[in-house]
Amino acid sequence: MSVMAMRQWLTVGRRRVLYACGAAILLFAVGNVLRPGFAGLASVEAVLVVASFVGLVAAGQTFVILIGGIDLSVPWILNAAAILLVTSSLGENIRAPYALLLTLGMGALAGMVNGLGIALLGVPAVVMTLAMNGIMQGLTLGLSGGMTCSACASYAPPLIQQAVHDRLLGIPMALYLWLAVILIVSFVLSLTMFGRATYAVGTNPRASYLAGVNVSAITVTLYALSGLFSALAGIILVGFGGQASLGMGDPYLFQSIAAVVIGGVYILGGRGSYVGAAAGAVTLVTLVSVLLTMNMPDYGRSITYGVIILMLLLLYGREEAGS
Amino acid sequence: MPSEALADRPAIAKPRRRALTHGLTQNAPVLLALTMLIVSLVLYVAIFLLTQHHLPGGFEITTTVNDTMPLAAAAAGQTLVVLTRGIDLSVGGIIDMSNAIAAVTLRDTPASMSLVTVMVLLIGAAAGLVNGLLVAVGRLQPILVTLATLSIFQGIAIRILPQPGGSVPQIYTNILANPNAPWSLVYIALLGALWWAFRRSSLGVAILAIGNDPMAASSNGINVVRARVMAYVLAGMLAAAGGLFLAASATGGDATTGDSFTLRSIVAIVLGGVSLFGGRGSAVGGIIGAFITIMIANLLFFAHVNQLYESFFEGVFLLIAVVAASGIGYLARRRA
Repeated sequence: MSVMAMRQWLTVGRRRVLYACGAAILLFAVGNVLRPGFAGLASVEAVLVVASFVGLVAAGQTFVILIGGIDLSVPWILNAAAILLVTSSLGENIRAPYALLLTLGMGALAGMVNGLGIALLGVPAVVMTLAMNGIMQGLTLGLSGGMTCSACASYAPPLIQQAVHDRLLGIPMALYLWLAVILIVSFVLSLTMFGRATYAVGTNPRASYLAGVNVSAITVTLYALSGLFSALAGIILVGFGGQASLGMGDPYLFQSIAAVVIGGVYILGGRGSYVGAAAGAVTLVTLVSVLLTMNMPDYGRSITYGVIILMLLLLYGREEAGS
Repeated sequence: MPSEALADRPAIAKPRRRALTHGLTQNAPVLLALTMLIVSLVLYVAIFLLTQHHLPGGFEITTTVNDTMPLAAAAAGQTLVVLTRGIDLSVGGIIDMSNAIAAVTLRDTPASMSLVTVMVLLIGAAAGLVNGLLVAVGRLQPILVTLATLSIFQGIAIRILPQPGGSVPQIYTNILANPNAPWSLVYIALLGALWWAFRRSSLGVAILAIGNDPMAASSNGINVVRARVMAYVLAGMLAAAGGLFLAASATGGDATTGDSFTLRSIVAIVLGGVSLFGGRGSAVGGIIGAFITIMIANLLFFAHVNQLYESFFEGVFLLIAVVAASGIGYLARRRA
């Protein structure tokens, strides 16, 4: 490839994806110095599996951030999904398909309500999804009696646990699932009408409306997808850990937004890709693992985490001058 | 309004009516918030009477006011930032931090109490300064900056006070959150008066102007960077004050109790009619919103609604308030 063609291919967006990948590799190297074996296969695999959970949530977050929105209802849609899955399946394989459909439907429905509020009632995305988070939290806590219900202690159906833990050709199934999500989401975003319309709405909703894009329908669909992905992450998480617990969704709000931003998706919409967000998820989870390896106490991790996000933002998250 | 409609009215009535409609439209969000507050108050008294068989007395009023103070301060600060089209998610972290510092360092001497108060307020201002500089000078998105600094401030708070504890002298509690009488209303009045003056200061005008149109504000000679930074500094200071009120009423410290204030301060200002798109709203609205938020919690408590459902109702009320506010704003604009 000639230098010119190389330059043309290396757009700002692609450069950011490369930065995110580079940062992840660098972090593995640093981790390996701190604790030999950190960059070993088993450890890399563990990091990737955890990153896949963040990555699933980040898929939904990417969708809504691409149109300049944000989804703050992630934590409790995820948590509600995890609890709904165990309580509706009662740990029995025979109920698993029904429980899966119910849970995914719940997530998509909550997301759709978000989208309807934002697109039709004109509620700001921050307020709408914040309120939805509260609504889901209240419903989850209230209906499960604060996780005291008899069905709440059920395990995820063995089928779902196996689907997460089993290996194919030595690689955990969770990673295949993530790979499939990466391929499908990237395909939808870059090669379909729907994907192009998403970028158009994110760049300029008014112009897209005038060009005949159904902005409301796109908005509602994207938020519904975000809810769906949160619910999917909840299902995978409960399959991975076996049981549901209260507060299990809390870390995923910050992490999903951070992953999307590290991956070079423009927070005001219109620019970015899911491959970037996925790379961002890997970077973020590697960072957390390195901090864990250093035996850093909780507070230190919290501080370092914030400082590194700020540094990454200062490196390439800045708006153009004059805007 | 078409001019023919006005022609047959007495000439004197015209300007008065206009001034009244103008005042109503201008303050519609605050008036709406006030109406919601009155409705929630009436409901509260009714339910209290039904379940407790007597009217709420001094104790209930004092508790409500003391419960509201931390949120009212945080909401007033959040208002300033939101007016500039920003958002401050680190409010909870700053409250955690100031709460922890107060609980660890306060001693039962006047010198210690005044020194710690000033120190905590300055630390809050410094935390706000970091936010403001990153947003205004660093040109980063407010929501991302304050999400990151929230994590940092929470970490610092836990470092200072790993387990709930520490102590707050009784006198300090009596001054900030007197448990015997609703003296804290003085601070509410003070906040209101400060807003009234601030609104008319050059900084206040600058902050509102930025929220309406940063480019136009800049063209008119407003130092956009400075005003934006100051909004975050003041918000940090107010959040720190909220942390002090919280420590005083809990008579101890907890490095995590502030966390919920990030979301609740946003709920409060939205209920108080502050536009999240910037440029519109008042800190008085935010303070009223804080009262409504606490009243809703009280209401649900005395209605014997399962406490687990509390955030469900908070979410529903938040949505109703936003939709109602935008609906009324739309009608008012159409009539005007």
